Amino acid sequence: MTAIPLHFELPENLTAKKFLAKLSKKLNIQVADQQYTIKAFYDSFDWRLYNARMICEFNYSQKKSQVRLIDLNSGDVLAIESLKNVPRFYDQFPTGHLKTHLAEPLEMRALLPLCKLPYEMYCINILNKDKKTILRIQLEEYEQLTNQLHLLPLKGYDKTVKKVSGMLQKSFELKPTQASVLKEALKGHGRKPKDYQSKLDIKLMPGIEVSKASKIIYLQLLQAIKINEAGTIADIDTEFLHDFRVAVRRTRAGLSQIKYVLLATEIAQYSEFFAWLGEITSLTRDMDVYLLNYKKYKATLPVSLREDFAPLYEFLKEKQSQAQKKLAVNLNSAEYKKQLLDWEHFLKKSLPKKGKGSSDQFNIKKLSDQRIWKVYKRILQEGGSITEKSPAEALHDLRKTCKKLRYLIEFFQSLYPEEDIKTILKALKGFQAVLGDFQDYEVQEMSIKHFSEEMMENKVPPKTFLAMGVLVQYLDSMKCKARNEFSDQFVLFEQANNQRIFKKLFAHKSSVKK
Amino acid sequence: MKIIATYNIKGGVGKTSTAVNLAFIAAQNNYKTLVWDLDPQGASSYYFRVKPKIKGGSRALIFGDHELDGLIKATDFENLDLLPADFSFRNLDLVLDARKKPTQRLKKLLKPLKKEYDFIILDCPPNISLLSEAIFEASDILLSPIIPTVLSLRTLEQLKKHIKDSDLNHIQLIPFFSMADRRKKMHREIMGDLNDKHPEVLSTTIPYASDIERMGWERMPLGSYVRKSPSTEAYQELWKEILDVI
Ligand SMILES: Nc1ncnc2c1ncn2[C@@H]1O[C@H](COP(=O)(O)OP(=O)(O)OP(=O)(O)O)[C@@H](O)[C@H]1O
Ligand SMILES: [Mg+2]
Repeated sequence: MTAIPLHFELPENLTAKKFLAKLSKKLNIQVADQQYTIKAFYDSFDWRLYNARMICEFNYSQKKSQVRLIDLNSGDVLAIESLKNVPRFYDQFPTGHLKTHLAEPLEMRALLPLCKLPYEMYCINILNKDKKTILRIQLEEYEQLTNQLHLLPLKGYDKTVKKVSGMLQKSFELKPTQASVLKEALKGHGRKPKDYQSKLDIKLMPGIEVSKASKIIYLQLLQAIKINEAGTIADIDTEFLHDFRVAVRRTRAGLSQIKYVLLATEIAQYSEFFAWLGEITSLTRDMDVYLLNYKKYKATLPVSLREDFAPLYEFLKEKQSQAQKKLAVNLNSAEYKKQLLDWEHFLKKSLPKKGKGSSDQFNIKKLSDQRIWKVYKRILQEGGSITEKSPAEALHDLRKTCKKLRYLIEFFQSLYPEEDIKTILKALKGFQAVLGDFQDYEVQEMSIKHFSEEMMENKVPPKTFLAMGVLVQYLDSMKCKARNEFSDQFVLFEQANNQRIFKKLFAHKSSVKK
Repeated sequence: MKIIATYNIKGGVGKTSTAVNLAFIAAQNNYKTLVWDLDPQGASSYYFRVKPKIKGGSRALIFGDHELDGLIKATDFENLDLLPADFSFRNLDLVLDARKKPTQRLKKLLKPLKKEYDFIILDCPPNISLLSEAIFEASDILLSPIIPTVLSLRTLEQLKKHIKDSDLNHIQLIPFFSMADRRKKMHREIMGDLNDKHPEVLSTTIPYASDIERMGWERMPLGSYVRKSPSTEAYQELWKEILDVI
């Protein structure tokens, strides 16, 4: 069945009033409501709803306000709820379909307003001879855009929809259009959907010089730092800081991995700056992670202890808020601003024609091949020498090496066939997950112990410590589980097919010989 | 998801009014709600201005293989749908009787709708019949309006006994007083008496009121033509109390 058009654009000169006058000659219509209304669009900063093919509209007037979730592809209304305002996080929504739809894509991200549009809204009911509504029409008269008309079908009245849709096209010459004016509204603000994403998307040409390529990479990372700065300072949700820190870490990895381009003194200066950025943001991130994990932690406890866990939450919240305050002071400081500006100027400064020797004689592809191959071999060697008796440090070192490889592949992926990159990234991610778990559980276990010492001074009831003890045990068992999974995961990562791809993509003849 | 049947062996006690008005309130509170009009007289279909007609009638429903979903009609109210009655439902007992496992049939028909709705309210015809057996099997809750008369105690006890004798352990019976007139001494006495003997009777009562009676004239749920009155409040209270006990 081909879909029946439900969304239409009115011709330029056709006002709502004129249209309704014409419509009432053909159908039994009732204008149920007419209101000056504001339409505000919402999504997370990284467009999670849009990526999940959903649009969230908040329509509000003097009289009523509604959140409406629209399927981007079909234009169907997925959920609709009368709410006074739009809660920031999905778990603050009342239980119901809307919340259920939002939970999975949004997770911990805040819903933020994108842009607003005023319009006159007409709600029209089409009635049958029993005065029963058999179809609803929503007519939106805009100042800045062409007027829009939406048919809102009612279950069990399919024939009416078909009839009216056909009539609007034939007798009224309305043009079918999209379900939402989101794109047009954004255009008015000079934006477009998905204009920010956390994932790196660096496009490099294989022939360009190392210096040029590295500046492209650094500039993109700088962009990510700047974009996430305000949200990090305002603590809108945890992921601003997270993305901010990832960009900082990637920059640091770049500085240590693609050395040749900068002078040693420059490297030293900026490495120190970015290391400092990593440091001043780390406590807040740690606390964010504990708070994000809180529900999961609580679920691991026996029911009888769950209520006693609350003081830990309060403690973490307090610590997070203190750390966040300090972080905000640092990111508002003149020193931070100056250093970041210096870095930007440095990146934007035109390059001296000839680089200083070794590096610029080869292009970025050559460098990337070399670096990735080298780090890959190091992983095989480090991983291969780990036995059941190896100390935790060996795994931590390997984790760091894997991270290096991950960043390098992400920087340079546009130089290689997409399918191959996908395969090896997937393998690497799986392997990193188990190493990450091992480290995280260990750190968490230790932190919880530290927290309990600090909490001793706050007159926390003994049962809370009992609960924390149970948690420590859980974390320890998870850590052991990750440790036991290591060898299997390494075998998976090391498998011949992956080796073949790595070799094909990155192994230089010169380096293979060796 | 809960299936609630408004049921009483007796006719004219307020089953349909209860089904329609509670469904309206549930829907207003953002619960996806369906009313299934199982009474051939089609009273709840009438209140929602939907033609009491379904394709193929009883036979298609009981023997056919199409799903209920295709028969559902949206009402004029957000979150509130209706499965209309059909005049042929007057033979529903006979049609059911001709089928294997007749009492399981409604339950099976309703199963695919569980995902779709938070509440399904079955508006039942009076009497104990094969249809009511099938309704009992399908329902989680029997919501039973009782008019405070001398016979009401007996009717309630009969129903309780029937549930017990038929091993309908999954059913929660929730009786409440309907069309009650607190000014009448007899009503007050009967209600007091019944409340003592049967503590599960809800404390909310629906009063006898002319604005409720007017539903047949207005052809819509009470709450959509009366903004606020003792009757609307009583239904709100009733809904709250039901949510509390289920
Ligand atoms: N609380 C009330 N006050 C006044 N009139 C009422 C009240 N409740 C119901 N009525 C009226 O009483 C009549 C019967 O009510 P209703 O149809 O709800 O009962 P019922 O149990 O469904 O009847 P039936 O057994 O015929 O299906 C209707 O005309 C209705 O308008
Ligand atoms: Mg009835």
